[in-house]
Amino acid sequence: MKIQNLSKEEVFKSLVTSDRGLSEEDAGRRLHEYGLNEIKEVRKRPLYLRLISQFTHFLAILLWIAAFFSFLSEYLHPGEGMLTLGIAIIGVIFINAVFTFIQEYRAKKALEALKRLLPFYVKVLRDGKEKEIHGREVVPGDMIMLSEGDKIPADARLIKTSDLKVNNAPLTGESEPMLRNHEPFDGEFLESPNIAFAGTTVISGSGMAVAFATGMTTEFGRIAHLTSAVEAGLSPLQKEIIKATRIVATIAAVVGIFFFSLGFLIGRSFWENFIFAIGITVALIPEGMLPTMTLSLAMGSQRMAKRKALIKTLTSVETLGAVTVICTDKTGTLTQNKMAVTKMWTASDGFIIPPSPPLSKGGNNKSALLKGGERGLSSYEMLMHIAYLCNNARFIDGQYKGDPTEVALLKVARETIGYFEAERMQEIPFDSDRKRMTTINIIPPTPPLEKGGGGGFVVFTKGAMESVLPLCSHLLIDGEKVPIDETLRKKTMDAYHALMDMGLRVLSFAYKEIGDTPPPIPPPQGGRAREGVRPEEVENNMVFAGLIGLEDPPRPEVPEAIQKCNEAGIKIIMITGDGSRTAVAIAREIGLIKGNPALIEGHEFDQMSDEELRKKLLEKEVIFARMTPKHKMRVVSILKDEDEIVAVTGDGVNDAPALKKADIGIAMGISGTDVAKEASDMILLDDNFATIVNAVEEGRAVYENIKKFITYIFASNIPEAVPYLAYILLRIPLPLTIIQILAVDLGTDMLPALALGAEKPTPGLMKQPPRKLKERLLDLPLIIRSYLFLGPIEAIACMFGFFYVLYNGGWIWGTMLSVNNLLYLQATTACLTAIIITQIGNVFACRSSKESIFSIGFFTNRLIFAGIMVEILLQLFIVYHPFGNKIFRTAPLSLDLWLILIPFSIGLLAAEEVRKFYSRRL
Amino acid sequence: MYKKILAAVNEFTNSEIAARYAIALAKSCQARLSLVFVAEEGINKDVFRHAESALERLFIEAEELGIEVESITEKGDPFNKIFEIVKKDKIDIVFTATRREDIQKRFFTKTLAREFMVKLPCSVAMVRVVRMGRMHPKNILVPLRANMTNLEERACFVAKLAQGFESTVTLFHSPSPLTSFFHGEIHLKPAQRERHIPKDIEQFTECLNRYDIHHEKKTGYGSVSRSITIEAAHRRNDLIVMGESERSLLRSIISGNPVEDVLRETPCNLIILRPEHEHR
Repeated sequence: MKIQNLSKEEVFKSLVTSDRGLSEEDAGRRLHEYGLNEIKEVRKRPLYLRLISQFTHFLAILLWIAAFFSFLSEYLHPGEGMLTLGIAIIGVIFINAVFTFIQEYRAKKALEALKRLLPFYVKVLRDGKEKEIHGREVVPGDMIMLSEGDKIPADARLIKTSDLKVNNAPLTGESEPMLRNHEPFDGEFLESPNIAFAGTTVISGSGMAVAFATGMTTEFGRIAHLTSAVEAGLSPLQKEIIKATRIVATIAAVVGIFFFSLGFLIGRSFWENFIFAIGITVALIPEGMLPTMTLSLAMGSQRMAKRKALIKTLTSVETLGAVTVICTDKTGTLTQNKMAVTKMWTASDGFIIPPSPPLSKGGNNKSALLKGGERGLSSYEMLMHIAYLCNNARFIDGQYKGDPTEVALLKVARETIGYFEAERMQEIPFDSDRKRMTTINIIPPTPPLEKGGGGGFVVFTKGAMESVLPLCSHLLIDGEKVPIDETLRKKTMDAYHALMDMGLRVLSFAYKEIGDTPPPIPPPQGGRAREGVRPEEVENNMVFAGLIGLEDPPRPEVPEAIQKCNEAGIKIIMITGDGSRTAVAIAREIGLIKGNPALIEGHEFDQMSDEELRKKLLEKEVIFARMTPKHKMRVVSILKDEDEIVAVTGDGVNDAPALKKADIGIAMGISGTDVAKEASDMILLDDNFATIVNAVEEGRAVYENIKKFITYIFASNIPEAVPYLAYILLRIPLPLTIIQILAVDLGTDMLPALALGAEKPTPGLMKQPPRKLKERLLDLPLIIRSYLFLGPIEAIACMFGFFYVLYNGGWIWGTMLSVNNLLYLQATTACLTAIIITQIGNVFACRSSKESIFSIGFFTNRLIFAGIMVEILLQLFIVYHPFGNKIFRTAPLSLDLWLILIPFSIGLLAAEEVRKFYSRRL
Repeated sequence: MYKKILAAVNEFTNSEIAARYAIALAKSCQARLSLVFVAEEGINKDVFRHAESALERLFIEAEELGIEVESITEKGDPFNKIFEIVKKDKIDIVFTATRREDIQKRFFTKTLAREFMVKLPCSVAMVRVVRMGRMHPKNILVPLRANMTNLEERACFVAKLAQGFESTVTLFHSPSPLTSFFHGEIHLKPAQRERHIPKDIEQFTECLNRYDIHHEKKTGYGSVSRSITIEAAHRRNDLIVMGESERSLLRSIISGNPVEDVLRETPCNLIILRPEHEHR
């Protein structure tokens, strides 16, 4: 027997407690056994270990070895600058580690937000006496006393209730109050009306409940567990970075070892070979890549923030660009969440479009209202009166306040019948099980007095068709109550379906006159206040008045955003709590579906196996209707299993696990709970679907730009490596020192590379399908272009500069120069300057892989010029400032050398233009 | 099939809940049930009273279900006394509950639970009770690994428990992620992962089929313990049944111990089975 099935006595037996609650001693023992009633984080790899791992991966180990040998060399051959090099290499390790860690680290605050939903103090019965204890001290078996406004501290089985209503929104996302009772229930645990869940709130009434689960074992704890334990895994960019760095590090290590061995075979000294091995390794490793990438992502996130998408995790900027599926809510995201009555139906008038004709007879007529169908109000007038009176929205100070649906109903009714007053005797509130709301109103006497001059009681009901129609025995037609037969039932249902097919949310309205005497009220129970009229006493033999269809209009920018997604090959899956007909109609209106979509409703979803669901999800157009947030995580998990990159929207507490599981969890900035916002990767500041699509476009641009600056950075690795090959193979002085390589990689290259990261999206970017998972960041075309085309041109320039200075200084082939020789210093400076100058041409070349710089516009990215300015200033410092000379072992150059090197930069750009020209023609 | 089942009871409610699992199994196997409380020297009256009342409640509950049951109260060292009873009465399986402080100790060193698991000459079901009020599982999650020993008994235990609670079974396998040097972790689709399901899980399935237990197979991904707890939390399982860890202390220190991790972070009640009983 499950807890919800048990009688009160069986509950006590099962939880070994009694109606006097636990004894203090027993409670203490249980606290020891089950622990504190609190939300805890699932244990994870500690932060310090995650930081340490940034210093111990393959690339870092390689650099540590290089640093170690540099220090060893300094010890063996002091004064050759190896100490500076060793320190610089360690600096590189730290910079890369910190930047990668920043990318991966994400503050986990979702649990803090969850914890805030649990109460601080609660009232319990201990040893038969009421006692206030700390919420953390509640144990299984504790008798909890609940009253209005209380937060529920643990999952508890109700054993006594008095008009108890709870708000289960944190668990189910449904904000309507739920009526609870204490009777045994045969259905599912989560749907049990006799269970009060931790983290939910008592809206009204009172009750007593026995705690049966505390802390992390509650349903609330389950959400916390999933929110804390579930991880989306590495982002596509993080995976690519791992692959790229491993490939590059392996190439560097293999080349280093190969040429070290070759140098040894051709008779170079160990020292020369050693310098070479470290140099080639440092040259081939793009030290500045990770810092540039992080900064570029940060810039991307700022651009997205301007477009109302707040990015919380840096790598999410790029992940957005890779998104293949967006699972989106409907209300408030695709639509405006502004309800308006657009169509009504009565059996007399058929379909009516508001604003309706002014009420001709009756109108605001209390006496006619009382007479109902017998020469009383028309169906339409009655419909308006029910919409007015069976309504909790208010018109205060010229403004409507309340739930959007109720506001829309009040507005249309008020505009039609004006101000109307009828005291409400009782309300049987809406709850999601009953799917209806009922009020009993007293209609005051109105002159000319009818029915003996007195007022009367009228019951008004509104709700879902399936809930209201079965309560009705009659239909109001032309002011007459006509018994409902099969024909009338069919006619009503047809009207209902027609309204649904228009994408409207449809409510049914009914009433019943109960005369001058109030309905019977059951006697008080257990000394508690009276419970009011029982629903079953009044909700029967009602008269069906009509239907009102409400529209939540789509956001105007949504159809275009959906069109963009279609062109960009991104699948959109709508997940909504609305009925399937409404969902389909809206989806069709906004262009989300064109054919017959795979339509899955909540109850069907629960019955489907993962395999069945997987097959449905493969279909082109998919809509989930009558769903709750708890279903989302399963959808996301299956999509991720199928290699999709999934973005999912959510706003409730129960959405948090799905938001965490998705590659991109998107929380709503306006309607979202703190828990959802904390669990997400991105917050939509305007709750608008179109903003997601804008962010996707920005994400795609970021990926494209990352490839641009990687090409730029990798191209400079060749002129950094070639001098070492020349040094070992041609027996010449080393043309470029290791510290000069670092000056390029971590200095002069950085800002131009960042400027490439700020390039605007290429036209047509959103007309391409999402990039395939197999597509590499470091793909073959990129490697060929940078290593075999751009790089060699730069290498020619740098070697030219080096030899030009040497020969002009009277150097003879084969002569070795000391490291402090001025000619040698000038020659290496020329080599370095050549790289810097050609990189200026390269940065323009890398702005596009296919488009000509002239078609893009030379001046369209002003940051490039700023980057180049900084690059030149840095180089001037390195070449002409004594401090720069000292650090980088350089010497001042004459102006003519700069002028001689500039044509290489122009030549590189020209060569690229030719390559691009042929590339476009392919 | 288990003929004689022993449930160790003490003053804590979790031992009472653990014994209820023993009752369910005894009913399903039509086995004889011994409810045993061993009072340590110097035990106070209240503790004794609590344990005695628990014994009484359990005895009545078992009797009402038509189980042949006996209630034993002894004085002395709990392990030694239970060891004697197991030997003397030829007990097939012992149910015992872990205490919260046990799981806080690394590798359960110097805990009574570990002593039971290691030294008792019969099968042992160690129960970790975290949810007092939800012990009737709708679905039992059974994480399985490759190269299982005593496969028949494991399957029999799960099947009989499922029969006792009229629950379904989910067999769960979470293989270690495939990795390559250049590509890092390789993502496998569910169909690809299923190809990595070990053969002995098929044998387990056959055993469940013999007992006519409705079951499904699922695969997880990533860290074994994490994927088990996520699966249980996601599917709202009320009970996990898994085998004891066969990792040595050294291996547990170096590469972790999934069973211990699940024991610590389980979102629902958990039974760890050490099969010893020869299935005949």
